[in-house]
Amino acid sequence: MSREFSRRELPLILGLGALATRPGVAAVREPGRVAVAKLPPSPGSRTLDRAAAGAALSSAITAVAGGPIGALFRPDDTVGIKVNSLGGAGMSPHPELVEALAALLRGLGVPPQRIIVFDRSSRELQRAGFTIRRDGGAYLCHGIDNDYDSEPSTSGEIGSCFARLVSTTCTALVSFGVVKDHDLAGVSAGLKNLYGLIHNPNKYHDHNCDPYVADVLNHPYVRGKLRLVVLDGVVAQCHGGPAWRPDATWPLGVVAASTDPVAADAWAWRVIDAERARRGLASLEDAKRPPRFLATAARYGLGVGDPAAVKEVLA
Amino acid sequence: MSELDRRTLLTAACAGAAACFLPRAAGALVTPPVGSVISGEELPAREASWYKRLPEGRVECQLCPRGCQVADAERGGCGVRENRAGTYVTLVHGVACSVHVDPIEKKPFFHVLPGAQALSYATAGCNVECKFCQNWEISQFRPEQVRAQYLPPETLAEVARRNGVPLLSATYSEPVVFWEYVRDTAAAGRRLGVRSTVVSNGYIQEQALKDVLPNLAAMKVDLKAFSERFYKELVRGELKPVLKALEVIRASGTWLEIVVLLVPGQNDSEGEVRDLSRWVKRTLGGDVPVHFTRFHPTYRLTNLPATPIPTLERAWQIAKAEGLAFPYMGNVPGHPGENTTCPGCGTQLIRRVGFQVLENALKGGRCPQCSREIPGVWS
Repeated sequence: MSREFSRRELPLILGLGALATRPGVAAVREPGRVAVAKLPPSPGSRTLDRAAAGAALSSAITAVAGGPIGALFRPDDTVGIKVNSLGGAGMSPHPELVEALAALLRGLGVPPQRIIVFDRSSRELQRAGFTIRRDGGAYLCHGIDNDYDSEPSTSGEIGSCFARLVSTTCTALVSFGVVKDHDLAGVSAGLKNLYGLIHNPNKYHDHNCDPYVADVLNHPYVRGKLRLVVLDGVVAQCHGGPAWRPDATWPLGVVAASTDPVAADAWAWRVIDAERARRGLASLEDAKRPPRFLATAARYGLGVGDPAAVKEVLA
Repeated sequence: MSELDRRTLLTAACAGAAACFLPRAAGALVTPPVGSVISGEELPAREASWYKRLPEGRVECQLCPRGCQVADAERGGCGVRENRAGTYVTLVHGVACSVHVDPIEKKPFFHVLPGAQALSYATAGCNVECKFCQNWEISQFRPEQVRAQYLPPETLAEVARRNGVPLLSATYSEPVVFWEYVRDTAAAGRRLGVRSTVVSNGYIQEQALKDVLPNLAAMKVDLKAFSERFYKELVRGELKPVLKALEVIRASGTWLEIVVLLVPGQNDSEGEVRDLSRWVKRTLGGDVPVHFTRFHPTYRLTNLPATPIPTLERAWQIAKAEGLAFPYMGNVPGHPGENTTCPGCGTQLIRRVGFQVLENALKGGRCPQCSREIPGVWS
């Protein structure tokens, strides 16, 4: 016997369904889909309007998740938000955007002490404009600061000690990157950002970081927990990365989100190559640093690695 | 093995070189107080000695054969050298994460001052990644991930001299990555009458090696295998540059010993051991000691058993049959393969158990029976 569900019951049941699937990379909702919301930089200031940042982020996530953020996370998650703060204040995710994500999670019911914004070191976070908080506040924010597993674990070619935040503490991860060129990897967006989860990234830069970036993503700690990639493309950088190089930046004016981490990077590749072409620079392929790891990650079944196959959705 | 306590080190440190403070900024170099504990991100930085500048603020490291090309804000594969706005800096000059006094036999050197102590030091980092690394907890980490103490070259040399330790030894992790520290420590030791030794993988560019060899009494090189396959798959390095380094060391007159860690099924075939022994005899000479040592499962290679002793004995016999005068067995305490025997008359010259010398019959570096000169650093 079947029955119709009331409007009150339906969201609850759909929510329970989402809980049962516990999305991670292994359960990408819409492979190849990247949602992009407009968010122009503030004239003369790096600081973003908080309301505009929150609205843009929310609409990008909604567009890619097929619903509110509750489709990706649940209230009892401990969510680690890995930001890429290597580029300092000039080329790191805007704190206003990261805080907007934390607010969305709080709105879902995730308590502040289980929302952890992190990177390799507290010092790098501070340089990028984040306030270190190990207790209290609207979310926690601190570096890994050498708190790694005591033994290495292997995934493909990598053998690394993972941050205990990732292996032990968090049940869900967000890679919150930027859109920038990388001297060796080609692109540093959502996936290269994951090098900050392991203790020995310096060992894995040969051959344009391939297959190593894909191997980090394919590790069960990451593959099983990464629910979302957000890319701060308010200002992007098409050359000279990973360090901030102002003359190679341009106001891309967007925030992008995807549940397909490979597609998010493939989108970033497309965007960077387009700007390089506009400036008369060689493509990343011709510059001998194509992000080869995308094809490897796609071969692992982790997402869509072909930039031409990525579907950009305006949020 | 004894460990210098912190008080001793700090006391000596105070008598050592004066601290030099420089402001920290993009590209600025900083030096912490001598003896201070270093942890986290506050690393001293000193311009590296072997690199060249490339366009757009990039640099090319000329220290090891990897030849890393490093963009601004990035590090080389060793993890201890960083490009700071076009200046390549070493982050481990004086940043000692391990300091111990060891018997020289532990390195192992069997032909260098038998029974002598060596003030042994290391920093974090390595330029390869052996899947069987015994010291991965320091070699495979970045300097800011390992607790360390600032002990500049003059301090190490002074600590050794003051405590009557005749040797300094750069060891444990990979001295190539802290080569400026090795160079300056060896020079400081020489001024104070303390000799220096280095325990290395030999994966180094020729010029950098030649720049430091004159201040070294001895080098021990891990020849990890005699196949490029092994170096590629298990070491993430290359064999050819190591063979070249061995030739350079031998030609320099600095005393050389070789260690070959035999890993079951990977580099222990009769053919490979024979080829290696023949190459050593033909290229370096039969007087170079070659230590075949026992592998124990560790780090990322835990699925293999320890090397069977008969495998080591077979290698030892092959090396002798191929004309090597001083083959040894290692990590097999009490085995006759640890002893030094006169290649002329067969007299047992030095009897050892593990790192301990039980008997040394050498007289002025010669066999007491047949007076044959035994090569090494004996006095």
